[in-house]
Amino acid sequence: MRGFLPFIGQRIVRALIALWLVSTVVFVVMRLSGDPVPLLLPPDAPTSEILRVRRDLGLDQPLPVQYGVFLRNILHGDFGRSIHFREPAVSVVRGYLGATLELGLTAFVLATLVAVPIGLLSAMKRNSLLDHASMAVALIGQSAPTFFLGILFILLLSLKADLFPTSGRGDWRNLVLPAFTLGAFAMASIARLTRSAVLEVLGADYIRTARAKGMSEMWVVAKHTLKNAAIPIVTITGLQFGTLLGGAVVTETVFSWPGIGRLAVQSIYNRDYPVVQCTVFIAALLFILINFAVDLVYGLLDPRIRAH
Amino acid sequence: MKLTRRELLEAVVAGAVSAALPRSAHAQTTQKRELAVAQGGDIAKFDPHFSTASNDVRVSFNLFDNLTSRHPDGKLYPGLATEWGLQGQSTWAFKLRQGVKWHNGDPFSSADVKSSIERTYDASMKTMVATVFTTIDRIETPDPFSVVIHTKKPDPLLPARLAFYGGQIVPKKYLESVGPDTFNAKPVGTGPVRFVSWVKDDRLVLEANPDYWGGKPDFDRMIMRAIPETAPRVAALLKGEVDIITQLPPDQEDRVTANSSTRLSGALYAGLYVLGVNSKRPPLDNPLVKQALSLAIDREAIVKELWRGRGIVPSQPISKGDNYFDPSLPPLAYNPKEARERLKKAGYKGEEIYIETTIAYVAQDKAMSEAIAAMWKDVGVNVKVEVIEYSVRAQKSREKSFKGLWWGDPTSTLGDPDGMMWRLLAPGGIYDYWRDPKFDELGNAARFSVDDKFRGECYRDMTKIFLENFPWLPIIQPYEDYGLHKYVEWTPNPNQQFEIRRFNFKFRRA
Repeated sequence: MRGFLPFIGQRIVRALIALWLVSTVVFVVMRLSGDPVPLLLPPDAPTSEILRVRRDLGLDQPLPVQYGVFLRNILHGDFGRSIHFREPAVSVVRGYLGATLELGLTAFVLATLVAVPIGLLSAMKRNSLLDHASMAVALIGQSAPTFFLGILFILLLSLKADLFPTSGRGDWRNLVLPAFTLGAFAMASIARLTRSAVLEVLGADYIRTARAKGMSEMWVVAKHTLKNAAIPIVTITGLQFGTLLGGAVVTETVFSWPGIGRLAVQSIYNRDYPVVQCTVFIAALLFILINFAVDLVYGLLDPRIRAH
Repeated sequence: MKLTRRELLEAVVAGAVSAALPRSAHAQTTQKRELAVAQGGDIAKFDPHFSTASNDVRVSFNLFDNLTSRHPDGKLYPGLATEWGLQGQSTWAFKLRQGVKWHNGDPFSSADVKSSIERTYDASMKTMVATVFTTIDRIETPDPFSVVIHTKKPDPLLPARLAFYGGQIVPKKYLESVGPDTFNAKPVGTGPVRFVSWVKDDRLVLEANPDYWGGKPDFDRMIMRAIPETAPRVAALLKGEVDIITQLPPDQEDRVTANSSTRLSGALYAGLYVLGVNSKRPPLDNPLVKQALSLAIDREAIVKELWRGRGIVPSQPISKGDNYFDPSLPPLAYNPKEARERLKKAGYKGEEIYIETTIAYVAQDKAMSEAIAAMWKDVGVNVKVEVIEYSVRAQKSREKSFKGLWWGDPTSTLGDPDGMMWRLLAPGGIYDYWRDPKFDELGNAARFSVDDKFRGECYRDMTKIFLENFPWLPIIQPYEDYGLHKYVEWTPNPNQQFEIRRFNFKFRRA
């Protein structure tokens, strides 16, 4: 495992830089986008009141000062108090994070468990009915907008077939429709990519050699194909997790799922800077952690990567 | 044609729901002990003095009681006060209900009333309702069940003010012992429901107050859910997951009425949807131009096409249902020919006139803007429609920097023109872009008079001045529609109070 520690160290430094950049961009964009104070007060509030609230929130300070305070505080895990909820932003976001993780991880696991076998089978039975059918479904999954799929699922599987609740969070049945909605795109992308990665490997010389020495097809796939096809699959899987976080915004709204995606959108409308900053920071952190994990898996899968 | 996301959704819903229907006839009675309601957004705050948002007041008017109560019939009824009367010109005396207990068991008394009303305008409290009781000079509590309120000048509308927001009575002792943050997190009121638990953006659980002075409500528990998208909200109703949904747009009503177990119930909004006018900006400073703009709007078509008939064409700045509404006035006229002539007479030279529209700040605002712009182009107005976001609208409203016209939904808070036309168009009001000395004199005189006949004359004259100057262009007085199961007997309140007290809500039992 020589070279593995510097490899990790380099990844950590990159992750920290990415986090700092994300926080800074959010800080600047939110401040460019408008003043939260008129939204907090009644429309007929006097100017003195507006000035007072602005002072209370620290918005009367010059931007560099606000930025300095902001950076110092996030190093202490403090994102300030939510302007809208009047409680610490971190605890607001924490209240929503569980729901998003539950939905996101379910969708992610579901997508992977369904898509990888389908992609593999499609590749092995290339040009069969199964291949054509599953790739057609994947194409739909990849191109149908999330809100459309969500509403369609509600109307068909909930209202008409009466299988699942229409919306809200509750037991496992509440999770099925939003998880499939959210996972659809990832599922389709992973299935298509798995298929092409496996096809590419199946065409390689060493597979022909394996077949030529009389190995069974199952053994060829299990021993030689999967591991070699894994790198692009792991890559797309890691990237899809980011798409899932983005898709959560729409899915959570359609299914009134109390997660951070919905919180982020509402907080943007409310100009609730601290909550937006905290939500984006945590989403970025999740994404970075996942990609960090993907990098580690690469290193384990392919010794050539950690050598570089 | 370019489809918006919402239009696409609606088309999908239309197709799939009609496929799903008709279903077997559902029972029109129920044994339910739990009322489930879905609204379009979640609650932000429980402390009734810190929010006037409709999603919040639907709950806070049920957790808390006011001294007086405006029922869905528009009249004032006793609340925590059993009777009240004017003593002289500027003193109101209230008799309080005896034996009322707060949800935590503390007894209710006049001290709660005094501290609660004083809290609204206490500068150090920074409430959202600081301007509601500005007419009050001082409050006396001669005994635990009497409250005497002295106003600075005669205030004929004090009992009406007490019925609306800001007027919810909060517990002095509990509030002082736990502080405002805990009070907001664990509210204690005297109302028909008690707070149990709340998961943000998911569900609020309330339970019936068995000792409520107005009788225990007709359920054991009440669940308030937030379902922001319309199509899933309607689906939740049709599937029976919730009993009542709020904010049902006209284009979704067929789904509710076509279903055998659900129905529609609407209340004519206590207020108007208007285009505010920045009358300081040429050419909108010319009354003839504004008259022409009004004459060029085919409001009948807007009501019929965009609202599917769920609204009425306004005739005046006073909303139908309010004091002094003049039923003899005709609906605002549509006459494009006359509009062209007045534009000519005004010397209009094709200057740009802007509509700064929001999307869904008021229902259908963008669609109405586009329709109106087309009507104005027909008479030769050079109109530009620009879309602005809520926070930009809020900022422009505060800075009074609108470029031309914008959407607003003036609410009649008191069932009286003083609580709408004069509250909003008076100097310093949020629509203060136009002044007329006579209008101002009449508005002030009516505000401080307890002479009913005199007030009626003032408002008649103000209406006349208004209709020549159009500081607003009233467009529609819409219905606010709700979807409900047929086993629910409930009447919506025009002023957005979600009234579930015994007199207004019951489940139809077998």
